[in-house]
Amino acid sequence: MGIVSRAVRNISRRKIRALLVIIALGFSLAIMISIPAGVLANQKTANAVSSNLSNIINQTGATINQTLTQIDCSLAPSFSGFGFGSGTSGGSGSGPSFVFGGGSTSGGSGFTPGQFGGGTVGGYFGGGAFGGGQASPMNESLYTDINSSISGVAAVEPILQASEGNNVTRNLDFNGYTRTITTLDVTYQIEGIPLTASLVDNYPILPTNITVGSNLQAGDSGVVLLSENNSAYFGAGVGDAVTILGQSFTVVGIYSPSSVSDTQTLYMNLSDAQAVTNNTGYITSLTVFAQNSDVVSTVASSISTLHPELTVTTAQDRESALSTEESGYTTALANANASDSQTYSTAVEEIIVVVAATSLIVLFVMLYTVKERTKEIGTLKAIGFSNSTVMGQFMLEGILLSMIAGVVGIAIGSIAAPTLASLLLPSVGGRSAAGAVVVSGTTRFGGLAVATLTPELVLLGFGVAILLGTLGSLYPAWRAAKIRPAEAMRYE
Amino acid sequence: MSKTVLQSGKPVLQLENLSKTYTLGKRDVPALSNLNLTVNAGEFVAIMGPSGSGKTTLLNVIGCIDKPTKGKVLLDGINASELPENQLYKIRRDKMGFVFQTFNLLPYLNARENVELPMEGRGKSKSEQKKRASELLAMVGLSGREEHRPQRLSAGEQQRVAIARALANNPAIILADEPTGNLDSENKQGIIKLLANLNLTQGTTIIMVTHDSQAARNTERMLLLKDGKIVKEMKGLHVNKKNKTCPHCGASIQINDDTCPTCKKPVYASDELF
Repeated sequence: MGIVSRAVRNISRRKIRALLVIIALGFSLAIMISIPAGVLANQKTANAVSSNLSNIINQTGATINQTLTQIDCSLAPSFSGFGFGSGTSGGSGSGPSFVFGGGSTSGGSGFTPGQFGGGTVGGYFGGGAFGGGQASPMNESLYTDINSSISGVAAVEPILQASEGNNVTRNLDFNGYTRTITTLDVTYQIEGIPLTASLVDNYPILPTNITVGSNLQAGDSGVVLLSENNSAYFGAGVGDAVTILGQSFTVVGIYSPSSVSDTQTLYMNLSDAQAVTNNTGYITSLTVFAQNSDVVSTVASSISTLHPELTVTTAQDRESALSTEESGYTTALANANASDSQTYSTAVEEIIVVVAATSLIVLFVMLYTVKERTKEIGTLKAIGFSNSTVMGQFMLEGILLSMIAGVVGIAIGSIAAPTLASLLLPSVGGRSAAGAVVVSGTTRFGGLAVATLTPELVLLGFGVAILLGTLGSLYPAWRAAKIRPAEAMRYE
Repeated sequence: MSKTVLQSGKPVLQLENLSKTYTLGKRDVPALSNLNLTVNAGEFVAIMGPSGSGKTTLLNVIGCIDKPTKGKVLLDGINASELPENQLYKIRRDKMGFVFQTFNLLPYLNARENVELPMEGRGKSKSEQKKRASELLAMVGLSGREEHRPQRLSAGEQQRVAIARALANNPAIILADEPTGNLDSENKQGIIKLLANLNLTQGTTIIMVTHDSQAARNTERMLLLKDGKIVKEMKGLHVNKKNKTCPHCGASIQINDDTCPTCKKPVYASDELF
């Protein structure tokens, strides 16, 4: 009968108490390891966000340089907010967090209400806010008009964009004003472009980074090019049939989007897009290609003069939008860092509280045990147990209890770490503190890192459990050792 | 079963000018004053006295769980009153066997494990401890009940386990504090008989504090304590009265014999009562 088995029996002797204590300690320890897990996840998210944001800016800059001659025209309402999507993107804004890059100007089409949601923009960035943008469809005839009557135009690409998704109502907080806005959570976005040989061969109207299968070809019809996200959403690969708005299309290829605004975009022939969305004869935007970069501004102003209802965006405009975005990015990053340090100090405070609470639980439970077992301890000393043996016995009980609690805590933590971390830390799990960078959606900026227990944290948790068990039982065990053997006599 | 190596008749406990004073507030309360006592190996001694006479204090001092204010406690030749606590536990473990009024068995250990407790830290292997514990339990009449926990044993059986535990390290003295205090009359007799038998067959020295005059009468030597002093000493009945055999040679003897007719050694077979 060794000291260890005696400790085990003593713990199992009062099962309910042991259970309660183990659960209480387990929760404390789970919290203790979830907090650093959350902090790490926060840092990971912030890092992912910042690296993705810089990538986006670089990519966009590169695209702008490549598309110096490109002029985007749309009937979209003009927004005072930022945005560089230049009428081709319609990112989804979701959640009371800002959406960066996506959700820019014209975006999703708003026709055929009921089938397609309203504008896709929702969110805020810095102080500027906009929401509920709704692109107006325009007649295809504009295309011929611009193509034929403006000099310096090399080609015109009419585009039909439509978004499919679910309407979601949210309360958005704009500098203290709460507005209820219905936005569309986009599941996929259709982009119809004319697959004519002259456009396909000469102008950058299609994605270039094909990962599987092949790109759309001039004259294609009844086929689609999916983004990687689309492919996952439909569960379809190259050669499979996908049903889009009730019509079947064959997947010819899958591309990797070069911009966050493209992640949910699938490409098809313009006439197919018009047919499936019941919009024959209508488009949502035009991309005008100027003959060279010198005439871009002349062409742009000619378009504006001819059709003042159109929002016209040139590479120059896009560049200035980009610089706005860059400064927004800098602000966001600063906010993220501020939030990070706030998270860190909160984490430290909370850990101190939990460590203290845990040691106190062990302390009081063990003190109670010692008091309760005064006679037993007196007996052990009377029959020849040394002070150190008695002390060791109680230390071991406290440590053993904490070790079991440590295992329980790790088990709880491995399940509940994300929940615990988001409850305890200011900006984990989609909540934002002080306008911190919090990313909505799953894939947008590399995703929100989830608080997970690394092997290091598990080891740390177990080590901390043993340490706190030792600290907490030190004084009670010392008290036990000091009990006089005379207590064994006639003590009831 | 190894027998005690103590030679019968050699002093195993000597108390010299023993005093113990407790301080209650500003008052000094004397519990023992200038007490002298010698107990020889193989004796069965009862300490009696009214409440507050100092019985428990005396037992605690003899058992090295309390220190005297003055005087000497010589245990098996060792001056225990001068030893520090980190030595005293060894005296308690190796020289003493405690039997308590309330048995004081550990409820979460079975009978055998309770008996093994004092053997811990004495360099015996687990199997040796187990073997000795089983032998001791057999000796106190509990064969086959080794695996029972205290709650499944009767009060008398629990006290037997406690006695077996007290014997575990072959102590010089068994110190019994009101060992029959919590027992019914049948179990009382059984425990006294067990102690008497141990004294006779194993030569175990037993010092028993008791209120129970009937239990005391069955010992060899009764000491009456009053106000911290031994005020009277009497012969008890012969511990082996029932069997009417001599404790020394085992020959048949008669009640009221002062000496054994066979070996001529003194016996206590007096009818003299308290």
